[in-house]
Amino acid sequence: MASTVIGAGITIEGEISADEELVVQGTVRGKVDAREGVTIEAGATVEADITAGPLTVAGSVIGNISSTDRVDLQAGGRVIGNVKATRITIADGAQFKGNVDMDV
Amino acid sequence: MALLTVIGRGVRVRGRIQGEGDLTIEGHVEGEISVSGALTVDPAGLVGANINARVIVVRGAVRGDLTADDVVRLEEGARVVGDVHAPRIAIAKGALVRGLVQTGAAGTTASRGKTQEKAVPAARPASPPASAARRPVAAAPPVAPKPAAAPAARPAPSAAPQTKPAARLAPPSVLAGTAPATAKTPPPPVVPALKKGAKAALKKKAT
Repeated sequence: MASTVIGAGITIEGEISADEELVVQGTVRGKVDAREGVTIEAGATVEADITAGPLTVAGSVIGNISSTDRVDLQAGGRVIGNVKATRITIADGAQFKGNVDMDV
Repeated sequence: MALLTVIGRGVRVRGRIQGEGDLTIEGHVEGEISVSGALTVDPAGLVGANINARVIVVRGAVRGDLTADDVVRLEEGARVVGDVHAPRIAIAKGALVRGLVQTGAAGTTASRGKTQEKAVPAARPASPPASAARRPVAAAPPVAPKPAAAPAARPAPSAAPQTKPAARLAPPSVLAGTAPATAKTPPPPVVPALKKGAKAALKKKAT
């Protein structure tokens, strides 16, 4: 289990910087700056620019995403914003609106 | 697990955290925290925020006010700088606290605390003047009759030391009018009570 979890009932407004795995089940508004993996679970809402390692999105993200590793947009996930990553997957059933930049 | 939130050791949050469920803080949080469940600050946790929760358990460092609807527990290793309000408060041995600690219903204590803080300063200034005003009244009569006996008692040194404390107690209001007179004569308490013309009468008698 990841050592940091933003639970389903919780709203964070502001800036989060993490040096470890981060799991979001609740709501985050502001900015997320992580060096390790970030997981945005189904039901979670993130209205923030995200910098992260490997990123998994099953919830909703409104904001730009920048990953040093891969971004997985899973079925049921929703992203509105630009994505910059080395690899990216968008599953069938995911919603996505934005630019993709893959450092080709 | 569903409503459990953990801010891990490597995490820093700047802003407001609010919502339902329990919250455990092992990292840094600056801003404001308001949760419906229990909030735990672990030994590694550093919090610079006012905290509102149902239950607050502190084992780490907090700078900010703690307000709980149920209970605040400061356990060993807790360092708290700020006010603590809760119906029940437990402070364990080894916990450090600096601030106002007050038990009582969380909603009412805040207002009560404020009114008390206001009331106490108001009452304090009021009472000392009252007692000060009473003192001179009580102190003055003993001084007054002495001068009559003083000329006879002068050789006895014990009389002077006894009257000195009385003069010190006597507030400025008594001394103010007669200050120059007291300054001239070495045994101070004897003179102030003399009536006008009494000195002249004494001089006449002496001559």
